[in-house]
Amino acid sequence: MFMLSMQTTGLVGLAVAENPHERLRILYTKILGVLQNIPKDAAYRKYTEQIVNQRFNLVKTETDVQKLQDKLNSGHIEEVIVQAENELSLARKMLQWKPWEPLVEEPPSDQWRWPI
Amino acid sequence: TVRPKNEVEQKRLCAFGEYVAEILPKYIQQVQVTCFNELELLIHPDGIIPVLTFLRDHTNAQFKSLADLTAIDVPSRQYRFELVYNLLSLRFNSRIRVKTYTDELTPVDSAVSVHKAANWYEREVWDMYGVFFANHPDLRRILTDYGFEGHPFRKDFPLSGYVEV
Repeated sequence: MFMLSMQTTGLVGLAVAENPHERLRILYTKILGVLQNIPKDAAYRKYTEQIVNQRFNLVKTETDVQKLQDKLNSGHIEEVIVQAENELSLARKMLQWKPWEPLVEEPPSDQWRWPI
Repeated sequence: TVRPKNEVEQKRLCAFGEYVAEILPKYIQQVQVTCFNELELLIHPDGIIPVLTFLRDHTNAQFKSLADLTAIDVPSRQYRFELVYNLLSLRFNSRIRVKTYTDELTPVDSAVSVHKAANWYEREVWDMYGVFFANHPDLRRILTDYGFEGHPFRKDFPLSGYVEV
């Protein structure tokens, strides 16, 4: 018998992830590593570390995939992996853009007035 | 009849607006919530790509879908065109509006690198208003006739046009 367990996620284009805990562990450690380079008082670092540590602890304590999906409450585990990859690429881009600095330029005084 | 006020939703949107404004103080000039419970972020034009990428990729704000990209012409202002991006989050079922400004001659970064859907929307804004998008893969006319001159949706363009048909 070749096909022992042919599962699907039910979503087009998302293959079932084998060993999701390992993948998530790698991704979350990478994100935390990138976040270390951001200044400590930046709001982005504070909130993202909070989210990532929360999810990381859940991944470390819960070994059953189905229960982990329920606890994270964020769709399939493959979607959680995609979201972690997005967060990693965002963190790397944030290092270049540095959005925690003060405002670049004030708008002209009548710019956002409505009605004119 | 009057639409009932949804205080819970308004508070939730205000809280989220403050959250985003705290994370991106470099580009966000103002945050407002309309009386119909619509959140709007008012941005400096340099921050289009950072803000849109943040809204698309961050875990608390997965606004993966660009629903609309339009422009408004207010000729009396110094920066007459106001670009409006409408985003939808499927994970959290919520919408957000991102507004920027520019004038006729200043190019604006294209959102195509963030959302592929922005391609034709930006072509339409270029055709109808004359707002140039830098790094757009293929910026040409989309709705006007082939040899058409002028940008029809501007306020100084007459209703029946310059050429008799």
